[in-house]
Amino acid sequence: MTNGKTASPENRADREIVLTRVFDAPRELIWDAWTDPKQIVQWWGPRGFTMTIHEMDVRPGGVWKHTMHGPDGTDYPTQCVFVEVVEPERIVYYMAGGKKGDPGHESQVTWTFGAQGNKTKLTLRMLFPSAEILEGVAKTYGVVEGGTQTFDRLGEHLAKDSPG
Amino acid sequence: MPPDRLSTTFAALADPTRRAILARLVSGGASVTELAEPFAMSLPAISKHLKVLERAGLIARGRAAQWRPCRLEAGPLKNVADWVEGYRRFWEQSFDRLDDYLRELKAARANVWLSNTNTGSARTGKTLAHPKVSKAKTAREDKL
Repeated sequence: MTNGKTASPENRADREIVLTRVFDAPRELIWDAWTDPKQIVQWWGPRGFTMTIHEMDVRPGGVWKHTMHGPDGTDYPTQCVFVEVVEPERIVYYMAGGKKGDPGHESQVTWTFGAQGNKTKLTLRMLFPSAEILEGVAKTYGVVEGGTQTFDRLGEHLAKDSPG
Repeated sequence: MPPDRLSTTFAALADPTRRAILARLVSGGASVTELAEPFAMSLPAISKHLKVLERAGLIARGRAAQWRPCRLEAGPLKNVADWVEGYRRFWEQSFDRLDDYLRELKAARANVWLSNTNTGSARTGKTLAHPKVSKAKTAREDKL
């Protein structure tokens, strides 16, 4: 599924979720929708979720604390620290979410806002710390189940991924 | 799946030897001796790894007294796969909602423009009542 053959320290494909979409809106608009606490609560998270922002200081070193409220009443407290904030191009933060012991507990998330005329190519990269583990799971489980939907689809996203 | 179960799985998978054992078991059950063969490790060392895998529910061992063949259990692996899938779904749906939000924002702005140019006065009332327009405007003012 991944292009793991060209393994190098820079090759993160095996431990990344990458999503890309082109939005029919100028990137300044999307940048504001992302960085303004009043706007981000309107779209962040799956449908049925709501979000409470406790603190959001969008600048390098700034803290972002929020809680996602699931439709079933479960709360998901999340803490982030912004690493890079380059308006209107790029946001990088470390995320510590979920309960202690959750392996997703620490990941690095990068958002890239690529201008394409009046449109914007938004790219999300979520980098998990457990590289080999996810790769091992993908391989083993993929073989066991004859290729699961999840990893097929994850693979498709990874394959589609191209910088820029 | 509770995070502590998931982290047990992750901890068990965090070792290359254990991952190699699982990969070997994909092609069928094997005895401890067979599993030990590719590794420069003692049988007790391999047995230790197998115990970790067994505790994590990643393998099951037969009850035949001497041989006790190991076989792969896919359940916990599926949980990891589902966990990754959960994140992917989270972001995909966020993208969907962002798309909707931007659409509303643009439509609201177009209405403001129309009403300002006096060609869409019929819509003015609706436009002014649109909560997202006022929120977006407030946000912009806050920033300035």
